[in-house]
This record gives sequence, C-alpha cells and structure tokens, in this order.
Amino acid sequence: MRFILRRLAFYLVAFLVAATFNFLIPRLMPGNPADVMLAQAQGTIPPEAREALMETFGFINEPLYLQYLKYLGSIFTWDFGLSVKYYPTPVFDLLARALPWTLFLTGTATLLAYALGTLFGIRAAWRRGSGFDSFMSPLALALQSIPPVVIAITAMFLFSVSLNWLPAGYAFDPSLEPSLSGPFLSSVFFHALMPVLSLSIVLVGGYLITMRNNMIGQLGEDYVHLAEAKGLSDARVRYNYAARNAFLPSITAFAISLGSVFGGSLITEVVFNYPGLGNLLYMGVIARDFPLIQGQLLIMTLAMLSANFAVDIAYVALDPRLRRA
Amino acid sequence: MLNLLKVFVRNRKAAFGVFIVVFYVVVALAAPLITDHDPNKRVSRPHQPPSAEYVMGTTRMGRDVYTQLVWGTRTSLMVGILAGLIVTLIGTVVGLTAAYYGGATDETLNFATNVVLVLPQLPLLLVLAAFLGQVGPLSIAIIIGLTSWAWGARVTRAQAMTLKNREFIQASQLIGEPVWRMILVEMLPNLLSIIGFNFIGSVIFTIITQATLEFLGLGDPLSVSWGTMLYNAKNASAITVGAWWEMAAPCVAIVIIGVGLSLLNFGVDEISNPRLRTLGAIGKAMKLQKKLDRARLAEKEA
Repeated sequence: MRFILRRLAFYLVAFLVAATFNFLIPRLMPGNPADVMLAQAQGTIPPEAREALMETFGFINEPLYLQYLKYLGSIFTWDFGLSVKYYPTPVFDLLARALPWTLFLTGTATLLAYALGTLFGIRAAWRRGSGFDSFMSPLALALQSIPPVVIAITAMFLFSVSLNWLPAGYAFDPSLEPSLSGPFLSSVFFHALMPVLSLSIVLVGGYLITMRNNMIGQLGEDYVHLAEAKGLSDARVRYNYAARNAFLPSITAFAISLGSVFGGSLITEVVFNYPGLGNLLYMGVIARDFPLIQGQLLIMTLAMLSANFAVDIAYVALDPRLRRA
Repeated sequence: MLNLLKVFVRNRKAAFGVFIVVFYVVVALAAPLITDHDPNKRVSRPHQPPSAEYVMGTTRMGRDVYTQLVWGTRTSLMVGILAGLIVTLIGTVVGLTAAYYGGATDETLNFATNVVLVLPQLPLLLVLAAFLGQVGPLSIAIIIGLTSWAWGARVTRAQAMTLKNREFIQASQLIGEPVWRMILVEMLPNLLSIIGFNFIGSVIFTIITQATLEFLGLGDPLSVSWGTMLYNAKNASAITVGAWWEMAAPCVAIVIIGVGLSLLNFGVDEISNPRLRTLGAIGKAMKLQKKLDRARLAEKEA
C-alpha cells in the first residue's frame, strides 16, 4: 500500500512538471504567442479570438506566480481554453471526443503486440539458435527500427490503395449511425484493422527481444536446472518456472514502451485519418492551434501516467516481495 | 583499436551493421561528388517515374528524388549524431554523478530522470517544436537531445552502481585517487559498452523522431531531409496518385539505416554479454548432435 501511495505522489509531481512546462514554454518564447499565432494564421483566426487566446495562455495583468496558480486551477478543473481552429469549441471537448478512439487503438494494439511478443520471445529463448530464433530475433530487431510512419504508409499503400481491401480512413463508415448493431461494429472493426495491426507490428519486436533476453538470463539459473533434473515436463519448466520469472522485467519494459506507444499512435492516426488524438493534434499543428497542442500534452501525460500506474498495480499483484515491503 | 575492429568483423550482425552505417556515412560525405545539382532545383516535369536519367524519379515539384535523398542523408545523419551526442553526454553525466555521489544527489537526479521518463515524449516535442515555429534540423537535434536523455541516465546509473562496490574501485578509493581519475579512468572504461549502446540507440531514435516531426509539418520545409521529403510526398498525395517512388525512397532509406544501427547495437550487446554471444554456437552444436543421433539411429536400423 505504501508503495502504491508513493507512486501516486510521484505521478502527481510528474503531471505538475508537464503542466509547468506548458505554462513556461509560451512565456520563454520571444514575443507574444497570441500575436504570433494571429500572424501565422494569416486571417483564418477571427480577431475576437485574440482575447480568448491571451486568457488561455494566462497572460493577464497579474504577477507571474498568480498567473501560474490561476493556470493550475484552470487545469485541474479541466479548463484547457478554447480551440483556435474550431473556435469557440473548448479544447477539452475536442480532446474528450478523440480520446476514446486513441485508447481503443493503443489498447488493442499494445495487448496484441505484448501477448505475441512475449510468447514468441519465450519460444525463441527456449530453442535459442534454432531456425525459429535465428529468423524471428533479427526480424524483431529489424521491425523495431522501422519508424511507425513507414509501416503505416506501407500498409496503407498495399491494402487500401493497391489491393483496395480495407478502408483508407475514418473510424467507421460515415453513412452508418453509431449504435451497437452488427453492421456498425463490423465497420468499426474493419476500419480499425489496419491501424491496429500496423501499430502492433511496430511494438512487437521490442517486446520479443526483451522477453527473449530476460528468458535466456533465467534459463542459466540453478532453479531451472533443478526443475529439469527433477524431470518436470518441458512446458512446465518453460512457462511455470523460467517464463514466470522472466516476466517481471518485461513488465518494466512494457511501462517504458508506453511513451512510444502513444507516439506511434499519433502517427498511425495521422496516416490513416483515424479520428483520435493524433489526428486532432495534426489538425492543431497545421493550424498552429496552440491551446489544442498544449491540451493534448496534458491529456497524453495523464493517459501515460494512468497506464504507468496500472503497470505498478500489476507489478504489486505479480511480485509478492513488493507486498511484504 | 584493431582488436576491437576484429571483434566487430567476426560478429556477423555487427559486421553487417558496420557495413550499412559506413555506406551511409560515405554517401553523406560524398554528396556534392555524386550529385549534379542543387537538391531543390527543378530538373524535370513533375512526378516522372524512375528512369535512366532520374533513377528514383522526380517529385511533384519536379525535383530529382535521388539528389534529395543523398542530401537528405547528410541532414538526417548529422541530426542523429548531434542529438545522440547530446543524449549520451547528459545521460552519462547524470547517471555517473548519481551513482558516484549517492545520497541526496542521487535521489534528486534519479527523481528528475524518472519524471522525464514518464512524460510522453512525442507530444512534448510537438509542443516545443510548435512554439519554436518551423524548426530547422539543428534545433530539432537540440530539442530531441535535451528531452531524450532519461533512459540512458537510468541505465548508466544502474550499471555504475554495480561497479561502485567492485574491489578495484574500492582499492582506488583506498589509495586516495582523485575523484576525476576514479570516474574517468576506473569507471568510465567499464561503462563504454552501455554508453555505446545508448549512443547508437539515441541516433536511431533521433532519425525516426526527426522524420516524424517533419512529416507532421513541424520542420523547416526548405531544408532537405528524409522527413521533409515524406512531408512533401504526403502533401502531394504521392501514394494516391500512384507516385510511389516519392514516398518509397525516404522510407527505404530510413528503414535501412535503422536496421543497420540496430544490428550494430545488437552486435555490441553480444560482444559485451558473452551469454548472448555463445547462443549461435550452442544452437549449431545441438543441431550437429541431433544429426549425429539420427545418423546413428539410421545405422542401427539398417
């Protein structure tokens, strides 16, 4: 319990750091961001948005520490200001609409990649040097170094443009009404297929390599030899002994990979025109919609911290040493 | 130095990685020699497919894809190496300082490292790049360098901590060696493989991230790099109009350098961790044994 509380406190501080960045960056840049934005937008931003912008950035005629406090107050009440591109929609509303799609995409892709990567990693380590290992491990390594952009573009080119098997954009067929009906769900499924798979391909290599290397480390331990000497079945030694212990460090690796998960999903969404945070952010970047860009940093930080916290809880559940401490 | 080279060449993965990386470096250095004109010059009609004259075709703007790719290699490698150096420098200094001094210094530095580690990096980079306006390659290298050091710092710290309790470090403490000597002469050489790993990993990460930022339209569109090539190709809807070469060239370039650098990294890992290295040999021996067994079995049955 103390462990969990300490982690919670840590995440709160981390969130404050992100919020402080958001507060400081516009103030450290030369000039006034609202005017810069108006100049860059070349007339596409209504002039009456300027006031709202100034307020969003917290540029009010008060000392800096009061501006900061007021800024923090607005963040903790979910007030991220008004979007410039979609003026006058609040940034929070836009983010809340996009977030579920991103969570759906990243969640499915990560679980899929983690399950596959871990299973393949166990297998590659168990029969190291075998055909499976010497094919899968270099492949995993190669996949890991391919940027999400490239995988997404390639998948798009192959399956949407050349073969025309899968839709090239959106989360579902726009002619359908969102409901829990069969046609709608299958439309969601087919629209998600390519983004989910291309995001998983990016991730699977890293999980495979981590699990393989952990597992190889465990296979050299005495308790594994003892289990083998006792005549336990291969499967039992493999999964209940070695893999079980190799699993813990791989969960840490999972937590560390979350950053690239969210990064990868940003790009995948842009390529597939998927209506999640990434695509919204892309619109924001093109329009130099600063409140929107800043709001997404906070939401992404929040998503990442929650995911990390979930990993912590999983860690406590899996490692009895932490519960006793 | 020669010995180190031998080790690299003997490890097949590392050797292949070295080959790829050297090839890219040569291309980057020889850019003015192997291209005929400015990469931003319009040389032909738009979207010409690859031909004898323009081996990789032309872009929507009628620019030569090959020339752009070669000059882009220069930018991307420079950005990667510069950011890699910044990341490695900060990571090593933070990690070593934390491990060596321990106590409150360690707590503070470790806390900062952990905070940076849980912040989502790409969104943070997007905010920085957006406020800086259209950032050139140099600024991209610096902001990536300044935000990506946490992982390296954590790994270096962990490794340095285990070193600290070794006998040779304690011996050097007992004979009263100065701090700088202990850190630079006793500890640093033993961390070289981790530092190298960190550097190569950061270069890969930077090349990918730079391409991503520029693809999203945050880069300086006038600079020539793989990322701006992707951005221009996306804006020209290269894929949907069938001009796949405009998109494929930078994609392939990024993938190959990424694979090359990872192979190099994997090789470094195997060279410094004997347990991973012998696996190939064990596998071969096991296969041979099985073959022998089968041959014997066949003999018996015959």
